[in-house]
Amino acid sequence: MIALYNSKTWKLSSYIIALVLTVPVLVMLVGGISASTQLFSHLWQTVLPTYLENTLLLAFLVVLLALIFGVFSAAIITQTNLIFKKQLRWLLLLPLAMPAYLVAYLYTDLFDYAGPVQRSLRAWFGWQAPSDYWFFDIRTLPGAALMLALVLFPYIYMLTRGAFEQQDQNLIRASRLLGLTAKQSFFKVALPLARPAIAVAASLVLMETLADFATVQYFAVNTLTTAIYDTWLGYGDLGAANALASVLMLLVLFVVLAEQRSRAGLRHQSARPNLSRELIQLSFSQQVIGSIFCWTLVIFGFLLPLTLLIVMAVQYSDVAQLSMLMSTGVNSLKISVIAATVAVLIALSLGLYQRLHSDKYRQFPLQISGFGYAIPGTVLAMAMLSTLGPLDHWLNDIAEFLGFAPPGLILSGSLFAIIFALVVRFSAIANGTIISGIKQIPQSLDYAPASLGVNLTGSLTKVHLPILTPAILVAWLLVFVEAMKELPAVLLLRPFNFETLSSQIYQLISDEMLEQGALGAILIVLFGLLPIVLLNKSKEKV
Amino acid sequence: MTVLLTIQQLSITLQDNVVLSELDLSLNKGEILGLVGASGCGKTTLLNAIAGFSKPSHGKIVIDELTLSDNNSCVPAENRQVGMIFQDYALFPHLTVQENIAFGISKLSKAEQDKQINDLLTILKLEEYSNSYIHQLSGGQQQRVAIARALAPKPKLLLLDEPFSNIDARLRNELMVEIRQLLKQFDMTAIFVTHNKDEVFTFADKMAVMAQGKLLQFDAPSVICQQPNSYQVADFLQLGSWLPCQLDATGAQSLLGLLDVDTVSIEQQDFAYLLVKPAQLLLDTEVAENHKANAQVDYISVTEQGYHYYLSSLESSVPDQTLSFNKLSLYSDSVLSLKQQVSVSVKAHDFLFFQK
Repeated sequence: MIALYNSKTWKLSSYIIALVLTVPVLVMLVGGISASTQLFSHLWQTVLPTYLENTLLLAFLVVLLALIFGVFSAAIITQTNLIFKKQLRWLLLLPLAMPAYLVAYLYTDLFDYAGPVQRSLRAWFGWQAPSDYWFFDIRTLPGAALMLALVLFPYIYMLTRGAFEQQDQNLIRASRLLGLTAKQSFFKVALPLARPAIAVAASLVLMETLADFATVQYFAVNTLTTAIYDTWLGYGDLGAANALASVLMLLVLFVVLAEQRSRAGLRHQSARPNLSRELIQLSFSQQVIGSIFCWTLVIFGFLLPLTLLIVMAVQYSDVAQLSMLMSTGVNSLKISVIAATVAVLIALSLGLYQRLHSDKYRQFPLQISGFGYAIPGTVLAMAMLSTLGPLDHWLNDIAEFLGFAPPGLILSGSLFAIIFALVVRFSAIANGTIISGIKQIPQSLDYAPASLGVNLTGSLTKVHLPILTPAILVAWLLVFVEAMKELPAVLLLRPFNFETLSSQIYQLISDEMLEQGALGAILIVLFGLLPIVLLNKSKEKV
Repeated sequence: MTVLLTIQQLSITLQDNVVLSELDLSLNKGEILGLVGASGCGKTTLLNAIAGFSKPSHGKIVIDELTLSDNNSCVPAENRQVGMIFQDYALFPHLTVQENIAFGISKLSKAEQDKQINDLLTILKLEEYSNSYIHQLSGGQQQRVAIARALAPKPKLLLLDEPFSNIDARLRNELMVEIRQLLKQFDMTAIFVTHNKDEVFTFADKMAVMAQGKLLQFDAPSVICQQPNSYQVADFLQLGSWLPCQLDATGAQSLLGLLDVDTVSIEQQDFAYLLVKPAQLLLDTEVAENHKANAQVDYISVTEQGYHYYLSSLESSVPDQTLSFNKLSLYSDSVLSLKQQVSVSVKAHDFLFFQK
């Protein structure tokens, strides 16, 4: 069948939307790459090798740790009879709601020389000075890697668990009939089959690590993201910041391509995932080790930091903090609501365009509009600055030429830039959710309204949009939460004196005063739980 | 009788594949047309072209003197007054039965809408389900809702895409009779697509047999059944089995003997296949005494019309390999065993010869 509609306005607007979402990054890449070889060689001779080395080492360590945490916990939960595994099954997802920089701050506070742990140890053993004993230093690159892995491993846990649970049980049964024990069949069949899912999850962790800014900044580990931030805000050097952002962007692109490459042809479809599986029976000592492993992850990744935050909130909350929370909260709400609404509207428009328009390349606008998710917030912020800045100057020149008062930095210096960046960054989430909703509508429902004499508008308002309502709500909520949590783009793009919940908390962390913002931090964690609950629910349904 | 639908020289090319090729067809008001053919023969594409979901590359579709599509213009689907019942029914899951039926008649006044919905609910025996959602209904009920929804806007032509394919075999016949009566009651012109010839014989007034984008034969089912116009038509509809024959001045020579044929009527062909319907093949019971065996039993099954045998020619008796046959269908009450040699003969009738 052909797609039904061929409205030219729809076509034009779809391509314009896609173009607008892409242009800033293209401008930045072109600016960064073509800037000057001189600048690059200068960077290469000075700081770039260290930044790159730190970035790559951090990424390697985070992925390694997250794989150990995620794959083992997924295996234990799906393949064994571990006690309390029903609760651990969802508890292990919770660390995803914890921003890494919060965990970093809380654990530094806890394990530092002046922190309660070392103080107690000194009191207990009578040590006097740091030279009397050894204690690990958390504010290092491996420390940062551990913090990031603690909150990012649930990506690997979630996808690997899903892969194990979706596996065709007849394959496992066949391996058992061929003489393998439950344990052998796990290592020889189940684990190799889950490899594609593990690879996807690992690349997600890798991308999140490359995008992280606050944790490494707090630990004073110089990576590409912190370098971009310092170069721009510290030295005001847009060209160099652009160049660094382009290097980071290329690194991320490389990860995305490698991930897609490795995934091609590695799909294992399951026909009979629901057959009952035979579990590996753990001995007592194995039960203990397994429990310690899983509960440590849950406690250190979520329960302990949340408790510390709650204790702080109870001890230090006052009226001033509440009123600050109110004003930054309203700012956060404002930008997140607008960004979520815009992203969902764009996703709907492009998603339905892909489904219903007769354009031969109808999937194109949707495809390119979703690429922003891979781009770190810092890079995106540089892209906005290098595009909207010149645009502002140009607008001011025109205004002056026409005899009006210059409007100032109406694009780059206003909420417009932040919201624009958030929409570019999180459009992919809205797109994915809306598209999977659209895919569930049978194609015949596109045609039925026309066969009943109803036109495109009627079809959209009476059939497609009502059916898509749940997907629209979920998409909106997911983008809303991500926008609430986003930090680097907001830090770089916010207008003077404009604070959101996340930027405020980051400032307080930098000033070692998180107590003042504990309530806000709890709020961010609670918002972060929403998508996890949603994700877990939809997984349960499958 | 007034002509309702005319299709002239209709061709459709999809991604460089010719899916329909120069098709001509016309249908009178109130007639039901059954469109049969193997999968991929273009029947669903034809339905989509009439509904406005597929764009013809050439040709003309006219309904009730209104040109829906020709080489220059194409009326959008929603303005064609063509209703459709989809294979999966395409009922709106977020609407109740009543709201589904009302979907295409929102331009009518509320009172008119209510009347029409109530009438349809009554006729289709759906009154008690008017506020139910689709997932609460059985397959047969869902189909009745689909019919009610399609009939509500009073389309000039109703298209049905494999309407019975999702229905339990036992219910199917009952439902076909019921829906045919309903369409006749509304004097509705309809086209339905199927790959099951029995559905056409039960349901349709006219029949069109398609293969590879072409219309092979278009006529009343009884006519096509009696006088298929080609080997493909007879073979697709499984009207009988095939006996290879050598034609000459004396008649038709086959491994079942010489058939007395008026060779003048068979033009200049010298080799052809005779269509043998089950009733035309006779088993000569007393093989040993009067007749020489000329076939052997290859396959046996039990049917409601007695035993069904597939026969093949005997290898030893084959002077000419081209005349050997297999899968010749024989229905008989006699009990035969596998590999048993039998003598069969073809009853004299209006022989139908075809070339492949």
